[in-house]
Amino acid sequence: MDRRNFLKQVAVWSSGVLLAEPVFRITPDLLAAEAGSPILSVGTGKDYTSLVSSVLQPLGGIASFVKPGDQVVVKPNIGWDRRPEQAANTHPEIVRAVVALALQAGAKTVRVFDRTCNEKRRCYVNSGIQSALDNMGSRKVQCRYIDKRKFIPVTIEKGKSINKWSFYKDALQADCYINIPVAKHHSLARLTLGLKNTMGVIGGNRGKIHGNMGQNLADLNTVIRADLTIIDATRILLRNGPQGGSIKDVKVLDTVLASPDPVAADAYATTLFGLKPEQIDSTRAAAAMGLGEIDLNKMDIRTV
Amino acid sequence: MATRVTLRTWRKLSQILFLFLFLLLFRLTDYSGLDEIPYAVNIFFRWDPLIAATVLLATKTFAAILLPSLFVIALTVVWGRVFCGWICPLGTLLDGAGKLIPSQPQPGSSLRWVKYILLAIILTSSLFGLQLVGFFDPFSILVRGVTLGVDPVFNLLVSGFFDPIYRYAPQWISNLSEPIYTVLQDSLLPHRQSFFLLSTLSTCILIAVVVLEKLGRRFWCRNLCPLGGLLALFSRFSIFRRFPGRSCRDCQHCAPSCRMNAFDLESGRIRHEECNLCMDCVDDCDNQPSRFRFSQPDNRLQLDMSRRAFIGAGLAGITLPLLSMVNAGDRIPRPTLLRPPGAAAGPEFFSKCVRCGECMKVCIQNALQPCFLESGYEGMFTPRLIPRLGYCEFNCTLCGQVCPTGAIRKLSQPEKHAHVIGLALFDRARCLPFAEHSPCIVCEEHCPTHDKAIKFKEVTVINRKGESVELRQPYVIPELCIGCGICENKCPLPGHSAIRVLSTSMASGEEEFGYGVYN
Repeated sequence: MDRRNFLKQVAVWSSGVLLAEPVFRITPDLLAAEAGSPILSVGTGKDYTSLVSSVLQPLGGIASFVKPGDQVVVKPNIGWDRRPEQAANTHPEIVRAVVALALQAGAKTVRVFDRTCNEKRRCYVNSGIQSALDNMGSRKVQCRYIDKRKFIPVTIEKGKSINKWSFYKDALQADCYINIPVAKHHSLARLTLGLKNTMGVIGGNRGKIHGNMGQNLADLNTVIRADLTIIDATRILLRNGPQGGSIKDVKVLDTVLASPDPVAADAYATTLFGLKPEQIDSTRAAAAMGLGEIDLNKMDIRTV
Repeated sequence: MATRVTLRTWRKLSQILFLFLFLLLFRLTDYSGLDEIPYAVNIFFRWDPLIAATVLLATKTFAAILLPSLFVIALTVVWGRVFCGWICPLGTLLDGAGKLIPSQPQPGSSLRWVKYILLAIILTSSLFGLQLVGFFDPFSILVRGVTLGVDPVFNLLVSGFFDPIYRYAPQWISNLSEPIYTVLQDSLLPHRQSFFLLSTLSTCILIAVVVLEKLGRRFWCRNLCPLGGLLALFSRFSIFRRFPGRSCRDCQHCAPSCRMNAFDLESGRIRHEECNLCMDCVDDCDNQPSRFRFSQPDNRLQLDMSRRAFIGAGLAGITLPLLSMVNAGDRIPRPTLLRPPGAAAGPEFFSKCVRCGECMKVCIQNALQPCFLESGYEGMFTPRLIPRLGYCEFNCTLCGQVCPTGAIRKLSQPEKHAHVIGLALFDRARCLPFAEHSPCIVCEEHCPTHDKAIKFKEVTVINRKGESVELRQPYVIPELCIGCGICENKCPLPGHSAIRVLSTSMASGEEEFGYGVYN
């Protein structure tokens, strides 16, 4: 079954016509077809807005991901009641830049949301993301809180560790899903990057994911496979993650990297912390499932 | 028919305005996107002279935050109980309910004295450190009932209407209903569905006050309300009074319909301290209406309370605190009874807290809940933090901002970050990395302090299957833990959390805690 078919299933299920829960299978063939030598683009710069668009150039620009009329989801990390300089959430300028590009490419709507860990309103406000998007003044941009009615139970056919979890409808139904995590330290996962950011679109008791986190995250990412991953490493949290709290733990890198391959993006971002891609369980597990490339030597890395 | 603008019109307008103000401030008692609430959302408590008097008597110190109560006293000394008739939102609700609940004709025997008895007991016992005002203050009853019951039910009903449409109705219907729901969520509805302990009891008390209308109009106000009693005492000095017209002597048509039953039928005089200036007797008069004008205070009728009753009430007001002082319940340690951040210690908290429910209303995590009998009847409706329901948000200082009496101190954000509510302790018999040898440390991830109060050891253990596994086992650093409870809240175990916040003597001075513990 392909994604389009699956979306149909989600639609009929959520309107109550179908009683059996939707099942999601990405066949190994489909995954393999997207493999090969993934492009990974990385750049540095102080002006984050222009940095984002220049990093996307080697990938063919935003237009190769967002088609006119698309319903786009931009998924930043808004998990914590922290200010932008504390590096716990995606930088608001990065979020705004990605949203603006998606609008330029003709997106019908751009939805921005995250299931927060701290109180949702405080997170949306103090991350700076809500005001950054409100200031754009576009009605196509929807930065709303999670609506718990929209979690849909999904059978994860390919899951090795978890076979069923609920996912956010908007994320499942997106024509284009752009993942924009912030790169930071995490005690259990070591780092939280793109694959881990998917936890913001799942329902249920998320603490249970921690039992076998690497494989669990890989399993979740068979359902939500980002079309584009843009990792915000403009400033990275080196210790006391994932929420930090002190500027002392933050290192400014002014770096953004992007790839259509979520595993490649995570693998490269790991090196910014002086770690090897294989040291992150979720990257390794996802690569083993054929979700993407972990080997830096097999990537087409473009520095802009 | 053209409506004539009469004095009553102005009175109703004023009532509606203040009821609207009350509801508006209630809705604004919430996080607004700013760390500070920019409005005096608790003004109805701060200008309440009964609350000011009891807090003053109980703490023996003057709290500047309660200065607005002087305004209501001044208002009463000039105009009489105009507060009861024109301002009090509970009175307005009762007037509104009175239209729906037909009341019996005025009862023969008067119960007006009961409010003075209650007032005397409340004032005397507060002088001896027992704060009972929260049980009888009209705003405490109103805000508590609305916060803990009415508002959550309101949200439940509205979402219960829109949710099934969203889930089961055809798409085109929910396409119509959802925008309406969104507008409601952004305006009238609370930001989330709250859940409260004592929702039934608190609302039933409010409903009981309303249902008393059945026994007579404004039954609560004229017979029971201790604030009404206090204002009645002040209004005996007031200089704005009713003067009967020439034909009043033989008429008295207005007397039976007086909502405050203020007429003394034998003498034909009006009990000025009972009159709330509703102006019905002026507007409804067919003859020569009576008039209100300024004049010397002249109280020919005795207050409706005998000296004997007053002494009895005073004795009760002394006895109740004495009984509380010898209540052994206060000496039992209650390690799970956590108080809001900035709550005064021990007896001071109990003497300042007027059980208004503002802190529970404003708590953005729905963490603050009313006590039932955990700290005796004396502590009923005082706030406690229940981390499994909600944790104390690290950067939030709202409960201290809305507390009208300073029972919860206003903390700055840096103060809050270091303020200790309790201390987290692991239950290693249940904690996954210890009990099951499986990875977790969700608590460490969420611990907000910097440096983290929860750290972990990397260990290699042999699990049940005999395999050697590397694990991170968490532990608490007591000096860093502030007891916010996010760890207990987020612990993924079902049922009890494997980490629990306890109010230990080390963390919060438990040995001094609870009402009336004098060591």
